[in-house]
Amino acid sequence: MTDTGKTPSSGQYAFPRTQGTDVIVIGAGLAGLLAAAKAVRAGAKVRLIAQGWGQQIVTPGWISVCDRADDDVIAEVRGFAALHPDHPYALAGDDAVVRGLASFCRLAEEIGEPYEQRTKDGHNLRLITMLGAIQTPLAAPQGIAHGDLTGFSESLLLVGFNGWRDFYPEMAAGNLQQQGINARAIRVDLPAGARGWDLYPAELALLLDQVDARNMIIHQIKPHLSGVDKIGFPAVLGMDQHLEALSHLSEQLGRPCFEIPTLPPSLSGTRLSQKLRGWLLRRRARVQIGHPVLRGIMQERRCVGVEVGALGHNNIFHADHVILATGGLYNGGIQSDETGRLWEPVFNLPVMAPPGEGRSGWYEDRLLHEQGHPIHRLVGLRVDSCMRPLDASGAPMLENVYAVGHLLAGFNPLTDGCAEGIALATAYKAIATALGLKKI
Amino acid sequence: MSAQSVDVLVIGGGATGAAAVYDLARRGLRAILVEQHDLATGTSGRYHGLLHSGGRYVVRDPETARECIDENTILRRIVPFSIEDTGGLFVATPADPADFPAKWVQACADAGIPVEAITPAQARAQEPALTSQITAVYRIPDGACDGFDMIHGFIEAARAFGGDVLIYHRVTGLIREGDAVVGAHLEDTRTGEKRTIYATCVLNAAGPWCGVVAGLAGLDVKIKFDRGAMIAMNTRWVNTVVNRLRPASDGDILVPVGTVCVLGTTSVITEQPDDYRIEAWEVSKILNDADAVVPGIRLGRALRAWAGVRPLYEPPEAGNGDAIGRDVKRTFSVIDHQQRDGVRGLVTVVGGKLTTCRLMAEKAVDVVCQQLSHTRPCTTAAEVLPGVKTNPHRLDHRLHHLEHGETPGELICECEMVTRPQLEKAIAAYGDQPVALDDLRRDLRLGMGPCQAGFCAYRAAGILQQAKKQSSADTTRALHDFVNERYRGVRPLLWGHQLRQLYLDEMIYRRTLGLDQLAAPEEPSHD
Ligand SMILES: Cc1cc2nc3c(=O)[nH]c(=O)nc-3n(C[C@H](O)[C@H](O)[C@H](O)COP(=O)(O)OP(=O)(O)OC[C@H]3O[C@@H](n4cnc5c(N)ncnc54)[C@H](O)[C@@H]3O)c2cc1C
Ligand SMILES: Cc1cc2nc3c(=O)[nH]c(=O)nc-3n(C[C@H](O)[C@H](O)[C@H](O)COP(=O)(O)OP(=O)(O)OC[C@H]3O[C@@H](n4cnc5c(N)ncnc54)[C@H](O)[C@@H]3O)c2cc1C
Repeated sequence: MTDTGKTPSSGQYAFPRTQGTDVIVIGAGLAGLLAAAKAVRAGAKVRLIAQGWGQQIVTPGWISVCDRADDDVIAEVRGFAALHPDHPYALAGDDAVVRGLASFCRLAEEIGEPYEQRTKDGHNLRLITMLGAIQTPLAAPQGIAHGDLTGFSESLLLVGFNGWRDFYPEMAAGNLQQQGINARAIRVDLPAGARGWDLYPAELALLLDQVDARNMIIHQIKPHLSGVDKIGFPAVLGMDQHLEALSHLSEQLGRPCFEIPTLPPSLSGTRLSQKLRGWLLRRRARVQIGHPVLRGIMQERRCVGVEVGALGHNNIFHADHVILATGGLYNGGIQSDETGRLWEPVFNLPVMAPPGEGRSGWYEDRLLHEQGHPIHRLVGLRVDSCMRPLDASGAPMLENVYAVGHLLAGFNPLTDGCAEGIALATAYKAIATALGLKKI
Repeated sequence: MSAQSVDVLVIGGGATGAAAVYDLARRGLRAILVEQHDLATGTSGRYHGLLHSGGRYVVRDPETARECIDENTILRRIVPFSIEDTGGLFVATPADPADFPAKWVQACADAGIPVEAITPAQARAQEPALTSQITAVYRIPDGACDGFDMIHGFIEAARAFGGDVLIYHRVTGLIREGDAVVGAHLEDTRTGEKRTIYATCVLNAAGPWCGVVAGLAGLDVKIKFDRGAMIAMNTRWVNTVVNRLRPASDGDILVPVGTVCVLGTTSVITEQPDDYRIEAWEVSKILNDADAVVPGIRLGRALRAWAGVRPLYEPPEAGNGDAIGRDVKRTFSVIDHQQRDGVRGLVTVVGGKLTTCRLMAEKAVDVVCQQLSHTRPCTTAAEVLPGVKTNPHRLDHRLHHLEHGETPGELICECEMVTRPQLEKAIAAYGDQPVALDDLRRDLRLGMGPCQAGFCAYRAAGILQQAKKQSSADTTRALHDFVNERYRGVRPLLWGHQLRQLYLDEMIYRRTLGLDQLAAPEEPSHD
């Protein structure tokens, strides 16, 4: 790949020929990261460009594929997709769901951030939240997955920290008891060295990388262990030494210890992002976080390059394939204004909108409306089964641009319990089609 | 059911009622104020934040203008802790009637409002965000006023003089004995508990609801309801109040209040005293009008919107019965029901401005005193109030405290710098009364910053649960009510930045917390 460094003066961009296939991935969320990694594995020359990290750094960190499935999750997805041919799952195909997830889990394992499922039966996990609700994703970072309550009828101990604003174990324990789960709360003092008034999860996690700090906590918990079978902590158990911290605590306390996702930023998402970045860089992919892609450079129905904003001058990079993983309304992939206009800023692709005048059909009158807000499900791009964006008539607009993840219409990432599953499945499908991989 | 007896019962915990109970207490009367919700939840918590100089009314309604400039001067002296001396500008653009500035300058002179003509260049040096299209511009002594602090200031001062305050109590009936009102039946709006207060005189300061209250005594006070919307932008944009120099219209005023800049307002006649709808056209209008004076503000981040209802009352003798909206005068009326209806023991005060609340209280209490044959004169203009002891709203104080305090405690609301000790103190102040998170918001500005409680709601709920030793179920419900209440004010502003913010907040509530599963989905009910 060549960095031309300046904008050629003529209307045509003459990109020097290089060897290999240039894949540009725009967006560093779960979909963009998986697409980049897949493309690297397939031997492409990859450039990942993003304005910032994607949602994984604020979400709880687990992988929702079909939260509402009571038994076999993939079977449920398959059944659902058969009934909803326009849903991203149906478009990507259930093979892509399975392979996308598997390929993500392999990658996560490889970088030392293992995710776990209940591998035996393919059912969802049962995990608790800081408020004491039960969430049912399919996979989660190991420390969080250890909290799986499936078949658990013994006693939980939830541990909070005195003087730490981000976890209230009594509240969670009370709500769990209401749901028939035996849970108790205690608070221990923060390890020495914790600064009080704006202690962020990451600072606490860095402290807990140290054995001494962990020992101070272990020492305080030990007297409270009688009748306890499993111990939950806020998800701050170590940063760089995360897995060591987890097993150290479990060993010393003699019971499985697990993590409960905290308010953003999410440490598991942060670790995942950093380690994937390293993984990509080591494989000679270019990773540019902090740069906006301003526009695609088109030759007829092909995108031949993208223009990237940078200090001083903008850069232009050649592309054979572009994966657009810019993340919908939250991460800037779709923009909105006061008049109700919705647009996709890089390629100006047509955006589906809810019916009604202006913004009138976007939101319900209550925040936690049972159906969710129409905007989440109805706004987004439509794609074909190759993940190519469609125009109003339903025909693919561009030959070599693929849209994936939250950018797509047809699901509500906040209520449908499938956000990560769709990110992984559509990213997988896009790369498989673009690079002509056989396994699909 | 318990009963108590006082000299005067004040109905309404807005600016007028608060100033009145203070005035009554200073005059040595045993007075109690009752408010159906929390203090400052009526019009006084839904206004624009402007300490009027009178400039806005001076051409059409010089009487109100004169009241404003007099009271502006007095309030600056007696409640300095709630006022920021921003000064004001009146700015004319080429789109505004060219003959208006001259008329306006003359009217200001007649009303005694000091104005200073400056050049557009001077104006832009003072406020660089102003449009370059200025045809005329004047300085005027407008200010910004934190109504919450002012009301709490009056209440704390009233208490020091022996006055009493009962929040979350609604007057459900007025007790009449023949030609006299002798007290009221009340209901605790949180527990449903009933009680009676006997009073020699009742002062009806119920703002837009004062027609309803008068109705409880079988009397007719005809109120027109005029709804207006406002939008808070997430930074100040200007440090001076900016008014459009034209006949009063929508979207004329930008007021820097604390960390935000409040834009507004509209004027829509409605049928209800608590119609707080905000329609899409109002949002567009307010933003576009403000953009004509401060170009680019339309594209800024709008933080929150709210609406208030102006109670407009035109005394029959004014003979202007068909006037609507901005044509109704903004001066106030004190109705002596003994004189008007032959019913002793009830006085209604209605109309006016937050800026004129002290004067409204003075005139109303004068009539009350007449009925009680009590001769102590009003002295509220003379003495400086001690200020709000508990929780001043100023962000710079809080930052200072955090940076220099010994053990400031954890920062719970990062946007507004509310700490755990502040929360615990505010909760303790309610004693064994129930506390809603929204009460703590008004006490501390909890959740009023850019994220609108996305992060602090869970933390504050956890602290509330610990302090009140309440169940997780009750706490979760309180959390649910609070986040829904915060949502109402961002709902009209969901596009661009605030839409993305709400997505994050909703993700926290639904995914990280699972709040939607635990809290029964019911509309928080207020009645
Ligand atoms: C859109 C708008 C913008 C404004 N901007 C400004 C401005 O910038 N500057 C300015 O000076 N003025 C402004 N005003 C005017 C100002 O807000 C009002 O004049 C002032 O707040 C009125 O205060 P109040 O105490 O009379 O009424 P309210 O604040 O409405 O108080 C009445 C109280 O009575 C209570 N109540 C009613 N019925 C009962 C009952 N049965 N039992 C117990 N309690 C009861 C209510 O709950 C309420 O709290 C504005 C008004 C509006 C609507
Ligand atoms: C000068 C000024 C500056 C402001 N600055 C900011 C800011 O920086 N950030 C910010 O977030 N907001 C700001 N606000 C707005 C504030 O947060 C509220 O939005 C505003 O006070 C209106 O209240 P609300 O939105 O809570 O209204 P609502 O949610 O409609 O009601 C508020 C409360 O009023 C009570 N209530 C009273 N009467 C009724 C009734 N009849 N029915 C139902 N409920 C009733 C309820 O108990 C409820 O809790 C500002 C307001 C003012 C006046």
